Amino acid sequence: MLSSDKAAKWILSAPLLLFYVLMVLFPAGYAVYLSVHDISLGRTTSDFNGLANYWKILRDGNFWHSIGFTLKYTVIVTAAELVLGCLLALLFDRAFPGKRVLLSAVLLPIMVAPSLMGVMYRLLLNEHNGVATYVFSKLGLEINLFDPDVVVPLLIVLDVIQWVPFTFLIMYSGLQSVDKGLAEAAAVDGASYARTMLQIILPVITPIIFIAAFLRGIDAFRTFDVIYVLTNGGPGNVSKTASIFIYEMAFKSGNIGTAAASSVIIALFLLALIPFFIRRLGNA
Amino acid sequence: MKKRASWGYTAAASVVAFILVLPLLNTLWTSLKTTADINSFPPKFIFTPTREHYENVLYAAGYNFPKFFQNSILLSLFTSLFVVLLALPAAYSAVRLHFGRRKMLMFSMALRLFPPIIFAIPYYLMFQYTGLLDTVTALVLINVFLNIPLGLILMIGFLQELPYEIEESAKIDGCNVYQILWKIVLPLMAPGIATVAILSFIFSWNDYLFAVIVSLNRSTPVTLGATMFITSWGIKWGDISAATILSILPPLVFTFFAQKFLVSGLSMGAVKG
Repeated sequence: MLSSDKAAKWILSAPLLLFYVLMVLFPAGYAVYLSVHDISLGRTTSDFNGLANYWKILRDGNFWHSIGFTLKYTVIVTAAELVLGCLLALLFDRAFPGKRVLLSAVLLPIMVAPSLMGVMYRLLLNEHNGVATYVFSKLGLEINLFDPDVVVPLLIVLDVIQWVPFTFLIMYSGLQSVDKGLAEAAAVDGASYARTMLQIILPVITPIIFIAAFLRGIDAFRTFDVIYVLTNGGPGNVSKTASIFIYEMAFKSGNIGTAAASSVIIALFLLALIPFFIRRLGNA
Repeated sequence: MKKRASWGYTAAASVVAFILVLPLLNTLWTSLKTTADINSFPPKFIFTPTREHYENVLYAAGYNFPKFFQNSILLSLFTSLFVVLLALPAAYSAVRLHFGRRKMLMFSMALRLFPPIIFAIPYYLMFQYTGLLDTVTALVLINVFLNIPLGLILMIGFLQELPYEIEESAKIDGCNVYQILWKIVLPLMAPGIATVAILSFIFSWNDYLFAVIVSLNRSTPVTLGATMFITSWGIKWGDISAATILSILPPLVFTFFAQKFLVSGLSMGAVKG
């Protein structure tokens, strides 16, 4: 390699490396620093207090509740969106009239800001003039966002409406790249459609399904916008995700130190998952 | 027989599409109704449309919507610009000059794993200290951070698909790395750059979490602005709907007119990353 190339590879990477130092490494270190200090919003002094913040947060039932809720929410919406997205991808994996327009319509929700989706859901579901409220009441159903028994299933349905298009898109692209000859050969051999899909197509697109699950899973785990707009994490803390918990701890209660400790705990938990995911994705 | 079957698929896909776009259609309808029609229960499905809510949102005193919109435009344009400016040279260095390609990819993939809320607290204090709280600059910096991993993964993917021969012959003709990057790679990468720019534009347009944390009022983007209508203006559903429709317009325009880039970007980002 030319010596000018050696210089060039550093020069061309420098802006990104500098950005990573400034906006990733420094803040990460700063968060760890904050997590071992007694510091609150609007106060200028901070005292080192060792692991006291960690001790406090690990004994906080609300923290564990938010983690538990977020995990449950993530698993349920990801599973539902994978199954429905897969079925929808199979439906679209053929020619039919109006396919182009319908494909655009199905992809629309991905592009809408989740917070604005929250506003739209509120309009649809509000108790005075919501169209969904009206339709449900005709069916004899009472749907109220502030009913603790209803709110979680409802949020799950709303998440599915927005993000099935995403899992659909990934799996649809995956199906497009599958050799059509495979299914045709199976059909010639007399295999039914269901059997062809289950035994021939499914194994081929399994890596794609895993990737869709991974991407949707990490996004569902960070959910903030739509739930914050719709319920603020309530009623009580029924729908409080980990992101909402940390946000409120830091910016509503002003407990910067404890909130930083919660962030570090979640980061460590995810850090432990990295080797596993990289190995799986590497195989895919 | 065959014909009838394929119309059956159209019908099934139409039902699904209708359910998925129902929240959007309902908001569009509401934004065009008079306040009296909005408040009628059972809901009116046939009504005379009005422009009053759009006029309120855009011109009435007390609403800062045009300012919110301007903030969103600036924030999204500068975010896409900086994502491209940072990611393209770094990706080139990684793919063609072998600058730790695997490490770069791993690091970017790992970054995608962490919920951004983890960075909210250090960012808030950093921006408070530097006086950047409540500025579009702070939001641009944060959104570049949020979008750079996907941008880098896509740029690396697109670069790997470019044939190396053209660059090689330019090199033999005496071009240096920067000339090759500027004169040959940049034009060839146009579709990749467009994909990264459009996706970064949409995702930064849609960010809400960091707008809530960093913006007080000067730098408020539409995502936060539209939700503020709910709490601070009571239940003016017509105005809220009009503001929401205007706020989702830019991403929707991209969805219809640049769909090719979105689909290739999102699926490639998934497969490579």
